[in-house]
Parts: sequence; C-alpha cells; structure tokens
Amino acid sequence: MAEHAKAHALPSVSVILHGGEPLLAGPARLRRVCEVLTSAFDGVAELDLRIHTNGLQLSPRYLDLFDEFGVRVGISLDGDRAANDRHRRYADGRSSHPLVLKAVELLRQERYRHLDLGLLCTIDIENDPRAVLDALTELDPPLIDFLLPHATWDDPPPRPDGSPTAYADWLLAVFDRWQEQGRPVPVRLFSSVQSTLSGGPSLTESLGLAPTDLVVVETDGQLEQVDSLKSAYEGAAATGFDVFTHTFDEVAAHPGVRARQLGLAGVSETCRRCPVVRSCGGGLYTHRYRSTGPSGAFDNPSVYCADLAAMVRGIEARTAASLAAPEVTEPDELAASQRDLTRMLLARLNADLEGRGGERWAEAWELAAAVEASEEGARGLDEVLAHPYTRTWLLHALEQLHEEPGTVEAAGLLPGYLASAVVRGGLDLSVGVAYTDGRLVLPGLGELRIGAPGEHGTARVRAVEDGFLVRRDEGDPAERRIVRPRTAAPGWRPVRRFAMPGGAPGPVFGLALDDLDPYRDCFAAPAVAGLDDRAAADLVFRLGEAWVLIEARAPERAVEMAGRLTTLTPLSGLAPAEPSVGRHGHGALGIAVDGGAEELAFALLRGFRRAELRALVDVTDLYAADGSWEHRIPWQEEPVPFSRLLADTYERMALGAFEPRCLEGVPQALDTLEGAAELTVSGKRLLDRMRKEI
Amino acid sequence: MNTSESSPSFAVAKKNRVPLAEIDVRGAAAARRLGRVHAASAGRRTQASTFNSAL
Repeated sequence: MAEHAKAHALPSVSVILHGGEPLLAGPARLRRVCEVLTSAFDGVAELDLRIHTNGLQLSPRYLDLFDEFGVRVGISLDGDRAANDRHRRYADGRSSHPLVLKAVELLRQERYRHLDLGLLCTIDIENDPRAVLDALTELDPPLIDFLLPHATWDDPPPRPDGSPTAYADWLLAVFDRWQEQGRPVPVRLFSSVQSTLSGGPSLTESLGLAPTDLVVVETDGQLEQVDSLKSAYEGAAATGFDVFTHTFDEVAAHPGVRARQLGLAGVSETCRRCPVVRSCGGGLYTHRYRSTGPSGAFDNPSVYCADLAAMVRGIEARTAASLAAPEVTEPDELAASQRDLTRMLLARLNADLEGRGGERWAEAWELAAAVEASEEGARGLDEVLAHPYTRTWLLHALEQLHEEPGTVEAAGLLPGYLASAVVRGGLDLSVGVAYTDGRLVLPGLGELRIGAPGEHGTARVRAVEDGFLVRRDEGDPAERRIVRPRTAAPGWRPVRRFAMPGGAPGPVFGLALDDLDPYRDCFAAPAVAGLDDRAAADLVFRLGEAWVLIEARAPERAVEMAGRLTTLTPLSGLAPAEPSVGRHGHGALGIAVDGGAEELAFALLRGFRRAELRALVDVTDLYAADGSWEHRIPWQEEPVPFSRLLADTYERMALGAFEPRCLEGVPQALDTLEGAAELTVSGKRLLDRMRKEI
Repeated sequence: MNTSESSPSFAVAKKNRVPLAEIDVRGAAAARRLGRVHAASAGRRTQASTFNSAL
C-alpha cells in the first residue's frame, strides 16, 4: 500500500479495518496492524486509519489502542431497539442493542470523542423511519449513513406493500424527519445527493459517477473488489490477485475494478439516458447484477432504480429552493460573489507567495489591511477589485507564480491597485508605487506620465481632497497634483468615462471606455492601442446611438445592462456585430471600434448576455459533467455539449428583439436543456428565469 | 478626494465581509470556488473514503 502511495504521490490513503467483525482479531493483533501501517506510511502519505465494528466488543482496551494510533471508529446500528433486533440478535435470541448503545456511549466520552466517525444504519422498511432516525440522532453522532440492503435483480429486495418506491418513501420519511429536527447531524446519503444536485461530487460509492478507488485486502492477502459484490454471486469480488505477487496497479487495471471507474461509460445505456444519473450513478454496482438477459451481468440499472430516482427527485423538490445559488436571480448577489471571488484570489496570491514576495509584498499586504480597515477604504478597495481587469491581473500573477515559482513580478503590482483604492476612498495614506517607462498606472483611474520614456523607479501617491499628489522617490522632487482625476490634464490620461443617453428613469448609465488598462488584453482578439480623442468621441457617439436602439427595442435588457455593464474595451480584428468576453471580472466587454449603431447594439446585447452567463459560471455551478453528453441544437447540424447549447440559447433569446429569426428553435432548445442530466439546481433556476423571459 | 462608484451590491459585500488576511484560501470550499476561474488553485482533490459498507 505504501509503495503504491509513493509511486502515485498520493497525499493520503484511507485504510478501513472491516469485517465480518474486525475486533475479533483482538487487541494484540490490531496493535500489530496499526504499528505496521503507521510505520509503512510514515513520510510517504497521510494515513487515514479507520475501523468499522458492530460495537459489541468495544472497550477502553481497544479505544486506548485506537487513540494511540488515531484509528477512528464507525459503529453499525440499525435504529431503535426494535429495528436493531430485527437483524442483530445473538444466536440465542438475546438483543445486542444494549451493548451497542454502551459502545456508542463509551465512544462519546470526552477522551474518545475525537475517534467517533458515526453510525451506519442498514435500512429495513419494516422499521418505522422516524423512530429509526430519532434513535440515531438521540445518540448525537458526528455522521449517519443509511445503507440499502444488498439485493440484485436475481434476488430483489423485499417490498411488502409492492410499492416500486418503498425504499425511497422510507428514506424521504427519514429526510422529512431530519428536516423537522433541524438537520442535527449530517447524513452521508443526503449530503451526497445534495452535492451532486448542486454540481459537486458524490460522497459514497453507492451513488454518483465518481470513479471508485477502493480495493479489499483479505486477511489471507487476496486482493478483491468491494465486499458487497459477494452478494451478487459466489466469487464476484475475486480478482485472482494477492499482495504477495501483485501490485495495486494490477488490481486497478482489473476489468471489474475498471468498470467502476468509467463514470458515465460504466453505467447501462438506460442510465446514460436518464436525467438523474449524475446523482444516482446507476446505484451501487452490486445492485445492478442480473444473471440472465441480453445485457451483461452488471450492465443494467439498479434493482433500486425507481427508488433512487424517486429519492433524488424527492430531495431535489424539498431542497432546490435553498440549494440554488441566489446569484442566478439576484444581480446584487452576483456582484457581491464576483467581488468576493476577486478578494479570494488576492488572498490566495498572498498565501501562494509564501514569503517569496519579500519585504515589498509584506508591506503592501499590510497596507491592504489598513486600507480596508475604514469604511471609505473598504469601498475604495472594493471598487478597484470590482474593476474587471483586476481579476485578469490576479490570474496572471497566480499563473506566473505557479509556472515559474519565485517569479513575483506581476504580484509586485499590488501597490498600484492599493494606491487606486486610497485615491478612490480619499484616505490619508501614502503608497509607494513602481512606475515603468516613465508612466505610473492607477488601475481603473488612469495613467500619469512622470518621467521620460525608459525611466523607472518608485513614486509616492497620496490622496488629497480634490484629487491626488504624486512625487518621485528619486530624480525630479517636484510634486504633481492631479485635481478631478476623471478629467484629462497635462501628462494625466484618465480612463474615459461616458454616460449613455436615453430617457430611462433612475441613475445615469455610466460606462468606462477602457483602452488603457495594462491587463485589458485578455480577449481572443487583441486590444487596440489607446484611441485618440477623435476616435474615442466617434465611438462614444455611435455607442449612444446603439443604446437608443436598445432602449427602444429591448427596454428590459437596457435596464439590466444599465446596472451591470461597466467597461467597454475596443478590440481589433472583430466583426462589427461580434462582441468578445475575455478572462476578466464581471462587467467588461470587448467590442469592435468600427461598427454602425445597429451592429454595436447587436454586439452590446449579445455580449452582455455572454458576459452575464460567464459571470454566473464563474461563481456557481449551473451544470456539471459538461461534454459527457451531446445535444441536438435546433439551429445547426452538429450536436453540441450542454454549455454551448445553454450559451447559444441564452444569447439568442436576447437577440430576438433585433432579429426575430434568432427565436426560432428556442422553445425546443429550452426543452432539451430542461431534460439534460448536466443541469444542477442552480441551472434549473436559470432555466425558470429564461422561460419567464419568452 | 472620493471617486466613489458605490452600487447597491456594496451593501451585500459589506454584510459578509471577511478581512483579506482571514479569508480561507486552502479549504475544500475555497478550492471549489477558486477552481472555477483558476484550475491550478483547485489543487488535487483528496476525496474522503466513499466505501459504502463503512464510514
């Protein structure tokens, strides 16, 4: 095991001592097992050592041993006494329930509590689901999981009332009780479904499409597939390999193990076409077994298929409202999440630098804390971080650091961003900012020429009431004062801002025409060099005409754009009506400089929709497993992945105001999107919003 | 001077504001959030045990 971990540089390995009943090995043998494992993994990988027991033998003698080696303990308990005694009695008929409770109580003691993994409950639908959950939660475990009893198509599970969804009904009754209780403890099965519904991974091999990375080492050294397979047929778990002559890579290549690592390709054709497959994953491999029929032995849906679908749908119906990302319907939430994401990238840059940024970074980082300590400073910093190309800078700085460890050149630009925040917030702080080629850049504000081309050095920037002051640390000691930073002055080139015309009520829609930011070149098409005043005025005039057209033909879109589109950057090589969304934060759009009003209106509408969808995808999971399926698209021959179908449909809906043909096929596309397995709960909320738009 | 461009979203951001130095950037939730825009920050996913028959 340690060899395997070392060969694959695995950060951690879980070893679960499992049975039968592993405590029957006795403390001495278990000590030896723990010693050998701990020593083998020392310096190789983190060892996550666990044991799963029925608890009957659990005593301080074992728990002291487990405490010594950090072995965490899970206990099987099927619920209240009536539930537990249905399958867990001694041979002479006595109840084992009191002893299990005693074991749980012992494990909950302060000295052992850190070893407690929780309770594992095998379902019997004859038991009262509410009483079972109550009995389990009363013991205050850190985690609960419910197991469907092993069954196959050859040996189906009991269904006393004949209901095809009896197990789903039972589990949903547990779910409802769990909700009533205020979800006092996580339930792995429910967490897994909620995770996959939201676009995350499954948390148990019994659900979801995540590859199974498990192997069983029998006590005689044989290597087997998971134990549950033994319920399918005699020898189903065998691989023919053992620890003495085979490696774990050989087991991993075994067809039976591979079959459970193929994700979507590893489930039956019926499952591949089913919209809940991302959550159920075709169910536990064992439960798919059928000895007869045209399909292979495991190439079937689960014998619990109807239950799994009903459970996933049931949990979705109960939780979609709380699971769906608020960003999808609340523009303020989207803006806040975008800003938080940029803040997180900045904090991550600080963490990844690990001190390599030197004194200069340390000072800047301290200054950042000082800036955001006041309300004005926090607002100023938020504004700088909300500038779309600040995100581009941070991504570049992180990539530079990852690709060439020790290269901190891009990270070193932080003081410029802080100076911009200080000026915006009007803070009484002095910031040392590097200038190059004689130019000092204040991102989002503008660029000041403070030296001859080729000159570089540091200058101090300080806010004053009506603008800011700049003084070079070396050379010319004269102080430059910029008043009204939004207005051009000799040597000072502000980012151009303009207001869209029109009669919409509310605040004036102001936009930046950013042909200045050093990080604006983040689109597929190249950014143009700075526009001269005449070219800029001409573009602004045509944008104004375009805006009038949008307000007249698509007023609801104009309202949306007015609050959320902040920055336009001229690009070269773009078709006049073709916008571009690049690698930047929320609010920017790349446009061609030479389009007419109609073309620019089209570009703004299309680009805004594209940028909005990108902004959502940056902070939420609207879909998962993109590319696993291909979808027919009404307006073209070749099938496309889900993301493309969604993006095209989202854009075409907005373009209908200018080009009615764009709406052709949209209803069919929405139906396709709705039935797709990729869709998450947040994606469904977006789809609801889209349906309301048409 | 103050060039404030505050928008309604500022109120939302402020409500949940965590100081820069205290933002969790290494946990699983952070990796998921960062990974959407910067794949390298997602890191190598270490998955908890998914063995069905034990916790």
